[in-house]
Amino acid sequence: MTEPGSTESKSAPALTPVGNPVVAAVAAFLIPGLGHVYLRRWRRGLAFFLLIMVSLWVGWDLHGNLYRVVPNEPLSILGTLGALGMGIPYWVLRTQGYAGDILAAGYEYGTAFLLTAGLMNWLLVLDAWDISRGKKE
Amino acid sequence: MSHFFLMVLYAFLVSAFFTLLWRRRRREQVKLFLQLFLGMVGGGLLVAYLMYPFPQGPPAPIP
Repeated sequence: MTEPGSTESKSAPALTPVGNPVVAAVAAFLIPGLGHVYLRRWRRGLAFFLLIMVSLWVGWDLHGNLYRVVPNEPLSILGTLGALGMGIPYWVLRTQGYAGDILAAGYEYGTAFLLTAGLMNWLLVLDAWDISRGKKE
Repeated sequence: MSHFFLMVLYAFLVSAFFTLLWRRRRREQVKLFLQLFLGMVGGGLLVAYLMYPFPQGPPAPIP
């Protein structure tokens, strides 16, 4: 994935593939940051894990909506795909019966935090894939 | 948690995330983080002030 406005490509040495791209992407999908840990980007992996977990925790604490597919609401499919990006935490919340509370004061904010956690992790999956294939540092 | 605090927290999380995703050198990271963070918080405040003259409508119905 190309980094907008980055100057890395001008001076960076040739990158070599690391690990298995599929394993890296699957690990990144299942647990935020795990793909980077697998690729020996320990600090970055930990930082990503913390950022996404904080986002998830805030969304949960505010009783935001954890998207799921609702019949006759096609846009809920997009929301669900986005939220699914957080991997295992999504299913943990679902199996615990979490559904959010539309009457909660922080419902809209919480929904944004939860959805953002999922979308950020999708980007991490792509990042781990690119690093593993040697297309990114 | 206030709306403003949540907005700042959201801006912080997203800015830190994209900074780590897109930049490797410390100097570039600081620059991008400040651009994103201040852009989001400042932009949010600017939009809030632009909306200020408009009257608030009735509350949205709860489905």
